[in-house]
Amino acid sequence: MKSDEDLSRAMEAYADMVRRICFVHLKNKYDTEDIFQNVYLKYLLHEKTFESNEHEKAWFARVTINACKDQLRYLSRRKWVPLDVMEDEGEVISGARSEVLETVLKLPEKYRNVIYLYYYEEYSAVEIAKILGRKENTIYTWLMRAKEMLRGKLGGEWA
Amino acid sequence: MNVIQESMKDIRASEELKKNTLYYLEKQKKRARPRMAWRYAAIAACLFLFLTVGGYRLYARPVSYISIDVNPSIELGVNRFGKVVSTDAYNADGQNILNHIKLKNMSYSQAIDKLLQSEDYAVYLTEGSHLVFTVISDKSDIIMQEINKDELAREYQVSTYTSDMTCREEAHEYEMSFGKYRACQELTQYDETVSIEDCHGMTMGEICDNIKTCKRYRHGRSENSSSEEGTSENDSSGNDGGQCKGKGRHHRRHHGNGN
Repeated sequence: MKSDEDLSRAMEAYADMVRRICFVHLKNKYDTEDIFQNVYLKYLLHEKTFESNEHEKAWFARVTINACKDQLRYLSRRKWVPLDVMEDEGEVISGARSEVLETVLKLPEKYRNVIYLYYYEEYSAVEIAKILGRKENTIYTWLMRAKEMLRGKLGGEWA
Repeated sequence: MNVIQESMKDIRASEELKKNTLYYLEKQKKRARPRMAWRYAAIAACLFLFLTVGGYRLYARPVSYISIDVNPSIELGVNRFGKVVSTDAYNADGQNILNHIKLKNMSYSQAIDKLLQSEDYAVYLTEGSHLVFTVISDKSDIIMQEINKDELAREYQVSTYTSDMTCREEAHEYEMSFGKYRACQELTQYDETVSIEDCHGMTMGEICDNIKTCKRYRHGRSENSSSEEGTSENDSSGNDGGQCKGKGRHHRRHHGNGN
């Protein structure tokens, strides 16, 4: 079990990334809270030591993405939604940025992941392949298609 | 900064979210610890119980039996570690002895010594008496050797025999120790007029004397008729114990130096 110091350090270092991955996938703050609890509980119980901070960060990215996938799968099976959960996360999106974000959020799930990891976290395709557990060529293809989609919607000057 | 980074730069984990998560983990830790502790305690308790019960059953189970007959008939159950774990008396004298002497949880040779040394037992070890040990065991050779080596036992000129579980069951049907039963069967073989029930009232000394008399009588007769099936004084035809209904057969192994 990880110590309290480890935990608060990991919270400071990766909470924003976890939050952003949640944002890319999920619609409301309750689901995001669930993901945070899941991911950090997994971290707390993670027995192996990480080789480096990079390794640790990649671990967080992978675990969060998987947790989001699980959450979505769970939500899709759910037959009802509480009313208070239906409020959107719209408030964080504002101004000119919202157009880009809206477009990104409308992409299929796998493209959202690669766009986020590639552009925001600035991982290479090789690293993304490792995080997502896919072949490098698959990642290249996804990146290319995602860029095409964005270009089509946002105009030629993009990326 | 690229467009994506620009667009997402305001998306951060709020302090509230971090605090809630840490609070949740703190709760989980507290809950997890006692749960694990209970689990370990339960496993340890089960293991302890299992080993204790298993160990006790292993200890308490007799694998060998020693029947000690003079007039008091006593059977000792001996476990695989050579310790006496059960004592049973098969007549009033035997019961009287067991009421006075505790023989359980000591090695069988210690138990035999204690028995032979006790004043209560000495009453029965008189001139005409006969001390007979009968053994049922996979390692009866070793047990008989031990008994024959025992100095006290040598003093009383013991005889040792082996028997088997089938005979023991039959003996108990007659409410007799298997040691005495073996001797009775031997006697009935020589003297058809005597039944097993008749032996109930006899001491081992009387039974052995009767056997000896019968043997001598037969021996004399066979010598007179110069028959080929003559038997020696030391050992009879080898079937001296008679046969139990089951597969088993008594074997005479050793006779004390007094005979």
